[in-house]
Amino acid sequence: MRRTGFLYDERYLLHCTGSCHPESPERLKAAYKGIEDAGLLPKLTRIDAVPAQQRWIEKVHHINYILRFEEACLLGMDELDYPDNQMCRETYDTAMLAVGGILETVKMVMEDKIDNAFCAVRPPGHHAEVNKAMGFCYFNNVAIAARYLQEEWGIERVGIVDFDVHHGNGTQHIFEYDPTVYYYSIHEHPSFAFPGTGREFEKGADAGQGYTLNTPVLPGQGDREYLDLIKRDLLPAFEFFQPEFILASTGFDAHAEDDMSDIKLSTEMFTWIMKILMGLADTYAHGRIVSVLEGGYSIQRLPELIKNHVEVMMTP
Amino acid sequence: MFIDRSMTKRVVTIGKETNILEARDLMKENRIRHLPVVEPDGKLIGIVTDRDIRSAMPSTLQDELNCEAVDDKLRQVTVGRFMTPDPITIRPTYTIQDALLLIQDKKVGAFPVVDEAGKLKGIISVRDLIRAFINVLNIGEPGMLLGILVEDKVGQLKRIVDAITEEKVSFGSVLVSRHWEEGKRAVFPYLLTNNIAPIKKKLRDMGYTILDPMEWYLDQLPRHE
Repeated sequence: MRRTGFLYDERYLLHCTGSCHPESPERLKAAYKGIEDAGLLPKLTRIDAVPAQQRWIEKVHHINYILRFEEACLLGMDELDYPDNQMCRETYDTAMLAVGGILETVKMVMEDKIDNAFCAVRPPGHHAEVNKAMGFCYFNNVAIAARYLQEEWGIERVGIVDFDVHHGNGTQHIFEYDPTVYYYSIHEHPSFAFPGTGREFEKGADAGQGYTLNTPVLPGQGDREYLDLIKRDLLPAFEFFQPEFILASTGFDAHAEDDMSDIKLSTEMFTWIMKILMGLADTYAHGRIVSVLEGGYSIQRLPELIKNHVEVMMTP
Repeated sequence: MFIDRSMTKRVVTIGKETNILEARDLMKENRIRHLPVVEPDGKLIGIVTDRDIRSAMPSTLQDELNCEAVDDKLRQVTVGRFMTPDPITIRPTYTIQDALLLIQDKKVGAFPVVDEAGKLKGIISVRDLIRAFINVLNIGEPGMLLGILVEDKVGQLKRIVDAITEEKVSFGSVLVSRHWEEGKRAVFPYLLTNNIAPIKKKLRDMGYTILDPMEWYLDQLPRHE
């Protein structure tokens, strides 16, 4: 069995989005329940959240944005930049704890205290831009983790795989010009889904040309197409890039029963995707992979999906 | 939506004595396809397109044979000899709609924009119009498109806009188009949100059909079972 870390902290429930918002604390409770009920907790290395040092957040986000976000919370404002981004007074602190927890997790992998880890965090991150909150995201968790890996641990090539059903516009834009971080995303076609980016022809720019890859999938499609497209696009991309560490932007909203998208993946398909990622981590990255929760809104399906996801990570 | 907001105002121009090689290089450097030809006082007298230049130039294959000698000859060829004199122009007070219809009708790539005295004020090309249209659609903002089938009668759009507004969602744009079903129209709001499910449900509950753009498309895809 692999030494798998599990980042979860009850303070992640403090970020309130009001009633009727899909990105609710219930999601995380469902995730935790899935793992607890399956009896996995004793076999996992529990990791508690710590607030991030602001200097790491500044590696990705503009200082003005960080301060603007903090100030909005202090003033008790209930949204930031778009009405989608509902928040409360605790949102800023929760977002700091999400980033801090993930950096702590990454550190434990680098110190060889664990082999890999799943981070059950809120708020999610992949839509967050350098100076803007977007799509329920405030700090780009995965992007900050990538910079931390490079600057604190000397990792030269970080591979990011984003299988949330929405395109990670923030992550893509942050690394668009950077050939040291490869961003791969498979998602519902942007003409039909939020946020309207992640088209096939978006492949990075300047020195980063060829280090961004998008696989848009048309609505109504499912396992068969995902399987073929991931084999066609992701596998050769990472063979070319040879990532030394893999960060997964993990979303479960492509599930058939998740009403945030028109993609219809089965529960089993998410297991298959994670097995592929584990294989890539073993081949190129000494097994080093940290999976960070993004979307996934079916409270009914999340417990099983997350349990399966973590079980794949624990399996040698 | 007047075109002076969308046109290119810092226009690269040439005089009629400019030679063809200079004109070609100017287009290449600035990545443009139209060069208005003006008098020293700014009065428009013609336009040169990249097609005019290509048809006036010898073949690139020929170039290889005797480059220097050919270039010397071409330097004698001035724009006045092959430009389109008195091109179709428009005024800055024309609207985007005028320009769209006119460009489709005249099948040209750009219009020089001139004032009443015939002096060049700008140029509006197909590219400028595409940019204006992207701005109108607002698709540079994060959001998603919804398709709703409605009866072709007064008041439908109001109900839809009200229902969406109640959910505190902003509109990027709204398109209304004909639908192949008789007596129906299709409304396409581009909504600046990631949270579309409750809106879809609400509209369905109100009796609207949400268009699934993939329904007809999927039927045409090759299936590999």
